Amino acid sequence: MNKSRVVYVTTVFVAAISGFAEAPPNHIDLSKFPATQLDDVVVPLPSEVFNVLDKLGTPNWQGELREPIIKNRGERTQIALQLGSVVAEGFVAVEAADKGRVQEIGRDVLELARAIGVESTVLSRTNSIITKADAGNWVAVRRELDGALTDVKNAMIELKDAQLAHLVSLGGWLRGTEVLTSVVQKSYSPDGADLLNQPDLLKYFQERLAGMPSRMRNNLLVAKIQKGLDEISPLINQRITPGSVKRINEITGQMVKAIDSRA
Amino acid sequence: MNIVRRFLILLSLCTLLSPADATIDDAITSALQAIDPYVKQGYIARDDQWGGDLGLREQKAIPHTLFRGNDYWFLVGTDVDNARLAIHVYDSKGKIAENDSWQKGRFAGARVLAPATGTYYIIVEVTGSTKERTTWAMVYGYK
Repeated sequence: MNKSRVVYVTTVFVAAISGFAEAPPNHIDLSKFPATQLDDVVVPLPSEVFNVLDKLGTPNWQGELREPIIKNRGERTQIALQLGSVVAEGFVAVEAADKGRVQEIGRDVLELARAIGVESTVLSRTNSIITKADAGNWVAVRRELDGALTDVKNAMIELKDAQLAHLVSLGGWLRGTEVLTSVVQKSYSPDGADLLNQPDLLKYFQERLAGMPSRMRNNLLVAKIQKGLDEISPLINQRITPGSVKRINEITGQMVKAIDSRA
Repeated sequence: MNIVRRFLILLSLCTLLSPADATIDDAITSALQAIDPYVKQGYIARDDQWGGDLGLREQKAIPHTLFRGNDYWFLVGTDVDNARLAIHVYDSKGKIAENDSWQKGRFAGARVLAPATGTYYIIVEVTGSTKERTTWAMVYGYK
């Protein structure tokens, strides 16, 4: 055995027994990744987006807040979408440091959770939102809002209502995207517009809607949302211009309005 | 059937029936242990976990939209003694995207300062284990 071969064998042996971390390849072919080893897309939490928005400047958050909503509650599909949308609204209220509005939103979340049968899951979260908003502890309120969203979705999955859990996520994404486009539109920058580069997330939501049972897919509101997502898709799958930001804002705005009213 | 044989059958049944989920909670505990130092550094740990079980050299890819401007740490852990895990992050073109990574026994971590908003792939791999299937859990934090 020559010297270099001895060194190679020794290195491999030492690496094998010591748990030596191998350097990862600089490039992998994702197209060859077996589908069975590919997990579902992770839906980011609203706070991940708002965390970046914090760094982009100081928009007029108060101006982004909607009037108090939840006047109309329809079927479970609508309530699920509203739940997500209201939680996203909570993040806007936190940005605006509006204690009263955050507390109202905490109560709305509880009411909607009650209507959908998962009240007990979020009770402590909503109490905490109200208390922490009163203390002006905005970081903690954000955590509770994120937690409420996760708890509600997990409770729905436990109740074999995964479809509704997807709608909760989608409701949050729609309101979050409406706000994001509104903020970016008012002060366009490529960095801000870059935040909308979420084609796989959009595709994920489209696939979730397409995979719903026909009774849900045929629901007027769900059908409207599906149509809206189809309209957004080409806008997000290309370079995002001020024009496309404006259009995405209009489409998401219409969808959020439909979620709030009787579709 | 003698008692030894019965015991052996019971033992093999237990091995067969023991689902990977039986230790997923322990794997989550390990992953949470790994993220703890980062939480102390101001990272917000998402109250959610991903996990499962993998064979040796088997990989799992978790697609995730990361936002430019956020600083992420992805941590993976297992409760299987002597197992080794790796975690790395790639962008949508398959190019390595992490700024830092480490591997220490049952734990591993990868940091990404997302250069652009988009889909990234978090690849988890079991690089060493005495078990046929190794339970793992991943958590992440951001700031």
